[in-house]
Parts: sequence; structure tokens; C-alpha cells
Amino acid sequence: MFSTSSQRKFWTFSDENELARHREKHNLDYISRHGHQIDEYQRYNFFLSPEEERLLLRQYELHLKEFCKRFSPPMPKGVVGTAFHYFKRFYLYNSSMDYHPKEILATCVYLACKVEEFNVSIGQFVANIKGDRDKASDIILNNELLLMQQLNYHLTIHNPFRPVEGFLIDIKTRCCTLPNPERLRSGIDEFLEKVFLTDACLLYAPSQIALAAVLHAASKEQENLDSYVTDMLFRDAGPDKLAILIEAVRKIRSMVKMVESPARERVRVIEKKLDRCRNQENNPDSEIYKRRMREALDEDDIPHTGPSRMSLDTSGVTQVLSPSAS
Amino acid sequence: MDSDITSYAVEGRIGEGAHGLVFKARHLHTCREVALKKILIKNLEDGIPINVMREIKALQLLRCKYIIKLYDMFPRGMSLVLVLEYMCSGLWDMLHHNQQELTIPRVKSYAQMLLKGTRYMHAHYIMHRDLKPANLLINYEGTLKVADLGLARLYWPDGGRPYSHQVATRWYRAPELLYGARFYSEKIDLWSVGCIIAEMITKHPLFAGESDIEQLAIVLQHLGTPTEETWPGHSELPDYHKITFPESTPTPWPDLLPGVEPEALDLIKSFVLYNANKRISAKEALRHNWFRSRPLPAAMEDMPKPNTNKPK
Repeated sequence: MFSTSSQRKFWTFSDENELARHREKHNLDYISRHGHQIDEYQRYNFFLSPEEERLLLRQYELHLKEFCKRFSPPMPKGVVGTAFHYFKRFYLYNSSMDYHPKEILATCVYLACKVEEFNVSIGQFVANIKGDRDKASDIILNNELLLMQQLNYHLTIHNPFRPVEGFLIDIKTRCCTLPNPERLRSGIDEFLEKVFLTDACLLYAPSQIALAAVLHAASKEQENLDSYVTDMLFRDAGPDKLAILIEAVRKIRSMVKMVESPARERVRVIEKKLDRCRNQENNPDSEIYKRRMREALDEDDIPHTGPSRMSLDTSGVTQVLSPSAS
Repeated sequence: MDSDITSYAVEGRIGEGAHGLVFKARHLHTCREVALKKILIKNLEDGIPINVMREIKALQLLRCKYIIKLYDMFPRGMSLVLVLEYMCSGLWDMLHHNQQELTIPRVKSYAQMLLKGTRYMHAHYIMHRDLKPANLLINYEGTLKVADLGLARLYWPDGGRPYSHQVATRWYRAPELLYGARFYSEKIDLWSVGCIIAEMITKHPLFAGESDIEQLAIVLQHLGTPTEETWPGHSELPDYHKITFPESTPTPWPDLLPGVEPEALDLIKSFVLYNANKRISAKEALRHNWFRSRPLPAAMEDMPKPNTNKPK
């Protein structure tokens, strides 16, 4: 349930300013860690500004969308939604200068496939990636644990797709004034595709986003579902709650309306800048990264302080002894 | 959540799971005993195993006294370490080393705890898919908890999605899985529960096949050749026509489990049914007369308190 979920508790924020504050903080953190020798007025000549980071990440969200759309075998919507959530959450607490978005993007989609039970092997997965596939699979597998950690292991995502189905069923059974509600689908899908290019999923409940999609699709079909919302959905909820919902829906719809692709030329400049100011420790092509990976491979044993004799007392062992699931 | 291995004093190795070692440790700050389950990711073809992902998701969702708790997680080198509630013993141990402890009142109490954990999982649309004595752990207080949710997954109540049939340990595996069913429900857990309750009472596994085929043969021999009436739709299961067994008539339950009281037999046979839809739910089973007839389930203070230092 969303109301008791980690998504609501830890990953739903009060407003866009709060999101901006987190992002700026991590932008500044990165700069102070890597650029203390650079003059304050000069630093954005070398480092990305928070605004540049936003533009870059928006561009990569478009890449994420395209990657999922072209993915073979066809990917369920839930996987795409979950991958978007992961990507946005990751860059709320990390700078794109620390971790390159192209690497995190692929890792988010790969993890989302697993969590949403869309089972593809790493081989199948990287077959969808252009370029060096062995390298891609190394990068994804090396980043998987980092991503999980940065998500605070909050893996379960509540997407708006299920509430949409709920609304459609409800409209079909209770709201007879709307003929053939199924025709809303294309408008809904189009809206939800765009909504993931905004910050709405970090600010609003999945059911609010779903309702915004349904209402948007209805108005596209020259239909009006206002009385469904006021007289049926919120009949017993009181005017305060209704006002909050109306404001949320208005805000989500306006966020979707404002979606636009970043200018290509600007993104190209930012990418060039990123190549220079990115953290080489996390760059798979750097020597320092390769050395760190080798060290991580060696650091594998839990230091053992107790008696060395193995205790056969507990249950873990018994699993080996009794016939196991094949 | 910023913990790492330095927050724990590792006190010993307690076992080996499917993906790595399990250690007993103490959290330095709270002094709480925990089990550290270390999952090696190095050399794993597809990265973090899907089973681990499922276990994490399930344990984060489920908060129940009768299901093991996941306290924390942290990466270490190329491994992921899960910090789990420490359980000093388990039902498997009890069945193999301390059978005399398993009196009927205690068996009833363990059965209730197992059913409460199962009821809770099913209320959250999670099926465990590998219930067996080795996955039912017991703590110092004597509370039994469902553990190892590596095969647990969300299910859709309408049954519209296929799942892998390669689940559940053979002896506790429902017959539809043995016949390769891809569409099944949480009722597979209730078959396992029935087998476990029978085993706690008699101290012998109910159906102990040495191979998947023998497992099926034993089940069929005891419950009789399935008919359209006892098991609607059985002949359409993927592997049904791959093998035929001699015709058999059902063995009466009192012959199958001699000496077991009628109330207990009635509960067991409500679980161990071919027709999954007819299997009793965990919720209903908790209201069964067996739990209200004498001897009554043991109170917690009368449950065995496992002691890890006891010599074996």
C-alpha cells in the first residue's frame, strides 16, 4: 500500500524547492570536494552548475524513455516507471559529475527489470545497448549495489498504472455519463509517458498522478469528469481534501504541459564539460577506477573474531542438509 | 542506515546459504544479536540474484511477529550483507535432535505461529513458495518465525500470471507443482503447511520422495489416482501426460497416519487436498477445532527455549 510505503515516507517531497535544495547541495558538495583550489567566481567555468546538471539529466531521461521503448523483448510499463523513479531518486542525492548518467541510466533499468519481475539476463539486456557490450555489462553489474545503496534499499515502487486501471473500472461501473471510457487510454498513456519527464513522481501520490492522467485524457476527448470527482470520488471526503486534490491535479497537469526537450547544442557543451570535471574515480575508463575494482574484489572476507570452530547449531546449515528446492 | 561491517562484532559462522555464508554477530551499539547473511555478487552472471531482490522486497513489506525481520543492509566489497533477526534454532533441529520436546500442545502452538505468519503473508498477496521445517526458525523465547523468503513473490489474486514451477522443496511441494503447473496460487503454501503439521505430530515427513517422480508416486499412492472430481483440471497440467502411475485408491487417513487423533487428521486432510481451491486457508485453519480441543496449545512460557550452547 502506498500510504504505508517507503515511497511516501522517504521519497515524496513537499515541493519543488525542496528538490532543488537537495540537488544544489550535492552539486556544491562535489565542487567543494574536487575544486577547493578553484576561485569561487571561476568554478562554473570548469564544473557543471546546478542548472546544467538539470538540463543534462533531463536529456538522459529522454534517453531512458527511448531506451525502454526500443527494448527487446517489449518492456512492461511498470518497469519503465520504476526505472524513472530510481534514476530521479539517485540524482537527488548524487551529482551527475560523480556518477555519469549514462551508466546510472542503464543500471536503473536493469534493476527495475529485476524488481518488477521482468526477467531478462544480463546478456539479453546489454544486447539492447550499442557499443562494447562486455564493458556495458561490467559497468551495470558494478553499479548495481551502489544504486541499491543510494536508494536506501527502497526497491518497491508504486507506479500510477494500477490506479489508472482502478479509475477506469470505477468510471465504467459508477459513472454512466461517460460513454466508452476505454477511449481515454491513448490520452492516458501519452500523459503518463510525459509525466515521468517531470518531477511529479517525487511530489505526488501515484493515484493523484493517475487521476490527473484520466482527467487530462477526458478533456482531450471533450468530456468532463468533474462531477465524477466531486460527487463520487470525494463525496464524503470534505471540501479541504477536495481542494488539495484539485490543486495537485492542476499542478501535475501544468508540469506535464511545460515538458520540453533541452536544446541539443547546450547539452553537447555540457557533455564536453562533464568529460573534464567528472569524478575519475568513478570513470570505468580511468586507471584509478580499475584499481579500486580490483581492491573491492579482494576485500571479501568478513573479519572473524570468534572461535574458528564452526558452529553447526543453527538453521542455515540445515538447509544444505535437507532436500533443497531445485 | 549508514552502517557497515565495523558496526558489528562477528561472533561466528552459523551456516551456508544458497548465495554465501551466514554469520552470527552482535551490533556494537545496541548489543542486539543478528545474523549477517552475506551474498557474494562477484562471479554471479546476472548480478544481484533475483531471489535476493525478492527476499528484500518481501521482508520490507512484511512486519509480523511470526516472520523474520530484516533490520538493515550494507555492501561490503563485492558482496551485499543482509542484517537479519538472529534465530538460535529451528524446527528442523527440533525434529532431528529434540523430538521429545515436540509434545502435542507445543506442536499446536508451533502450528498456530506458522499459520499466523502464513495468514499475514497471504493477506499481503505474498506466497512463500518454500515452506519447510528448515525455513521455520525458533528464537530464544520459543517463538517460531517464517524465514528464507528467497522464493517469496507477489501474486495476483485472479491467477492470471504464470510463475515458475521450480519452487518448493520436494517433500513439501504441492502436486500441481510436481505436474509442472505455471498457474498456481498461494494455496501451494497450504499444502506445505499440512505436510509440516503432520510431520511435527508423527516426527516423520508425510511424503518423502527421493526424486520428483517418486514424490508424485507417493502422493498419488496415498491420495489415490486423481479424478475430475477430486482434482478438476489435473489432466491439463503441463507434465500430466508425461508419466502414468498405476491406478490406486485413496488410503484412509487413519491408516496413513496411525494413532493421530481425528481432529488433527481433519485439519491435515483439509490442507493436503489435490484441489487447491478446496484447501483450507490459513485464516480458516486458525479457527479449526483442533486448536480448541484438549490438550490445548501450549502457552509461550511452556514452549521450549532453545539454547545454542547445548552440546549435540
